[in-house]
Amino acid sequence: MSENIDVELEQEIATFYQSLGINQGPGDIQYRLMLKVLEKNDPGITEFADIREYTDQFADRGSIGSKMKTVFQLEGLVKKVKRGGYVITDKGLMAASFLKNTTVFYKKTKKMGEIIERMP
Amino acid sequence: MMATELLLNITICFAITISSFAFSWVLARSEPEHNGKSKPALWALVIFWALVGLTYLPTTIRMIAAYMHNYELDLVMYNLASVPFAFISVPLVYFIIYIIVGDKKISTYVSLIFTIFGAAYLALLYSSGVNSTITEWASLFSINSDIAINIYLMGLFIVPTAMILGLLLIILLQRVPKRLRYRTTLPLVAISFVFDFMLTDMITNVDVMQVSARLFVLIGTVQAFLAYFPPLTLQEKLGIREYQYDLYMEDGETGSKHQIGDDTDV
Repeated sequence: MSENIDVELEQEIATFYQSLGINQGPGDIQYRLMLKVLEKNDPGITEFADIREYTDQFADRGSIGSKMKTVFQLEGLVKKVKRGGYVITDKGLMAASFLKNTTVFYKKTKKMGEIIERMP
Repeated sequence: MMATELLLNITICFAITISSFAFSWVLARSEPEHNGKSKPALWALVIFWALVGLTYLPTTIRMIAAYMHNYELDLVMYNLASVPFAFISVPLVYFIIYIIVGDKKISTYVSLIFTIFGAAYLALLYSSGVNSTITEWASLFSINSDIAINIYLMGLFIVPTAMILGLLLIILLQRVPKRLRYRTTLPLVAISFVFDFMLTDMITNVDVMQVSARLFVLIGTVQAFLAYFPPLTLQEKLGIREYQYDLYMEDGETGSKHQIGDDTDV
């Protein structure tokens, strides 16, 4: 599964969810990109370098590692397999599937909003 | 002796003419209130209502001519009214395609196809010739060809109606505020009302049917007007009143001025 990650779109979606009051999970650009990369690399190992490729413009050094530990690892979305290397779990895949749904919802809402906007 | 029924027909046609022209004018005047994205759709709507008026203006004269037994004028006016009628689906198709797709180019191309179809209808109509019948209710014209032209005309009208219904369904399936739902669905219902009863008016060969179709066109025009400019009582009844909230309004409970509704100390 090697679909490309559209960083700009993810940023747009994260901003949209933040505007709904959802600052974590779907509304967090780092969370979105990390989960996307983990899903993309499934069943292989994801290293920090893979994630940083996308998150460098949004994250300070260290924040990705901290998020990986406090959110992903603690909640059981990933399994640490080596130093700096993680594999997505079944629960993580479920979260990734939910993330996809948030993208679909965003696109649908945006499309509808535009239709209403064009209505005189 | 010509009956008063025909006078009723004249009155209805005249009312449609006046109200659709007025509506078109008011819509055009409201242009500054619309944003850049909705302006193309607004102008399509203005043209649509103007075409409705342009169809019924010669029709009014035609009915008066029929009342006064002036058959030549009746025929001339029938031919004249057929022109705006043939192209009425053009702005409508532009309107719907633009709202759904949002691309001016695509909408222009699709409406261009309908322009060609409309022109083909006119060519067919003028080459076939018509037969007139005047009853106490109406003056009816039937086209001297088989029913092919009527079927063709239905195609010209049914496709845009299907588009309207599709758009209506898209909007109804969404969760949108009631006021917005009223503002978006009622004009669409009104347009399809007017549009389809105009078709009925044109192809029917039953006189009473013609008058009732025109009555429904009139109702549709009024409905469209109410959709855009609902009177306050209607707004309150339907629960779609728009409340104005002043950001710097004195808040009764806190007694102080707040920016952006700061209710933290309520």
